[in-house]
Amino acid sequence: MRNLMDCRLYVITGESYHPGRKMIEVMEAALAGGADIVQLRDKNATAAELFGKAVELRRLTRRYGALFVVNDDVELALAADADGVHLGQDDMPLAQARHRAGRQLLIGISTHNIEQALAAERGGADYIGVGPVYPTPTKPGRQAVTTAYVAEAAAAINIPFFAIGGISPATAEAVLSAGARRLCAVSAVVGAPDPTGVCIALKRDIERWEARGSMRPESEHGAAAGEAKSDAPATAALTLLLNGKRISTGTATLGELAHSLGLAGRRVMAERDGEAVPRADWDTTRLQAGDRIEFVQFVGGG
Amino acid sequence: MDAYRTPLTIGGISLRSRLFLGTGRYPSPAVMRQSLEASGAHVVTFAVRRVDLDVAEDDPLLSQTEGRDLVYLPNTSGSSTADEAVRIARLAREAGLGNWVKVEISGHPRLLLPDPAETLRATERLVREGFTVLPYTSDDPMQAIRLEEAGAAAVMPGGSPIGTGLGILNPYNLGWIVENAGVPVIVDAGLGSAADAAAAMELGAAGILVNTPVAKARDPVAMAAAMKLGVEAGWLSRQAGRIPRRRHASASSGEEGGLFAARPGTAGGDAE
Repeated sequence: MRNLMDCRLYVITGESYHPGRKMIEVMEAALAGGADIVQLRDKNATAAELFGKAVELRRLTRRYGALFVVNDDVELALAADADGVHLGQDDMPLAQARHRAGRQLLIGISTHNIEQALAAERGGADYIGVGPVYPTPTKPGRQAVTTAYVAEAAAAINIPFFAIGGISPATAEAVLSAGARRLCAVSAVVGAPDPTGVCIALKRDIERWEARGSMRPESEHGAAAGEAKSDAPATAALTLLLNGKRISTGTATLGELAHSLGLAGRRVMAERDGEAVPRADWDTTRLQAGDRIEFVQFVGGG
Repeated sequence: MDAYRTPLTIGGISLRSRLFLGTGRYPSPAVMRQSLEASGAHVVTFAVRRVDLDVAEDDPLLSQTEGRDLVYLPNTSGSSTADEAVRIARLAREAGLGNWVKVEISGHPRLLLPDPAETLRATERLVREGFTVLPYTSDDPMQAIRLEEAGAAAVMPGGSPIGTGLGILNPYNLGWIVENAGVPVIVDAGLGSAADAAAAMELGAAGILVNTPVAKARDPVAMAAAMKLGVEAGWLSRQAGRIPRRRHASASSGEEGGLFAARPGTAGGDAE
């Protein structure tokens, strides 16, 4: 059985993301790609169904030497011989869960701000979730905490923390650069045609950042993107209209602005003062005060 | 029968399917992807919207379609003038996913019917800029002719207003558009079920575009498969040539060799 400290990639079940495919097959695909922890989360199943799924996942995770965690339910975790239980802020309090389970279960706590994180650490949690970093369909309506909270947790928390919420190969880089070294994904893995491939990609991203050690994120980020630092001294702040909102920025070009917004690796299109700007020209398009900048993307439509 | 299975060609691209699929309003990106697979669609539509900068999110939609052999048809929804539509089209082209665009300029929030004057103007301009333009239009035969003259690669009349599922409200107009068109006619908007898809194809449409009836069906993946069959059935039925509608019955077997004499006063067979 894996030690929690060695666990880097945490995957949670989400059956609504893979209609027509069996949960156990999808989770096996995730384990094959290197998922270290699997959590059973299913708000719709009956108690009997949940127990059946828990038993199946217990058997499967054992085969892969991975940890198995049950969401919310300490009794189910104990009954199914899980390795841990994961509790939200509104679930059974940590102290009570510890009293019930003792050291038999690892206990993880979802946290949405640094106060909750510190409280969980003080209260004896084995790990915490930090998120949702990005908005996620798994938790509709919950305000995203952004990578700012990831950076806070990285600076202040000593127990393992897993960044969660909108984590995918597309966002991993930004989350890891904010200081996370453990990631938790749901839809990006279980909703993918190839969960194994997504897990391999996420694991590789994590390992790459681990290998770099704990260097300062910002300096490293620039170097990684191969950016020549502007020879000019720090640019004076410009006021722009960005996607309809007035903002102040210290960036000098459209490319720098996109990078500062975390848009660099995404399929995003840009417009300046009503004229589309080809991506190849972003780095040479200098920003001027009063520019109207739009960043747009493809969304679902008919 | 394979002789009838000629591919639809638009903008120089030979399409694998006459069913175009929209990507909006599915319960999840995964269901969208499965519906796309079940539909067999080659052309997929998208909208263009601002990135929400307050919350950096990944792109669950495009990650479902990227790497597949698809033709991307971004629409200009959200525009109410030709200027705005042209801006959106130019932005969409910068995605690097081709130069097709569905001109969609709605002036009325509840009808969502296209503004004919602005649609025509945007079509003219975008054709000049080298786009493959497929304008969404109401079922107006004259407007369809004007759009074709402006250089549209196909015209896309609606069966009924977007998302209503009312089907084809004016088969007479649609039939007229089809008969007079020199470019493919893709029936877009308002279809509700596979029967509507088949009906559009039987009227002579070269293809159909659906989104809401698939995405909002109880089982989107099954409806996507049904739409595929509806389009194929309607196309083949059109090619096969339906019988004319008649006022009186005509038996499937001849009268010769019948066991009983016709009743007095009814002899003479076909009354026509």
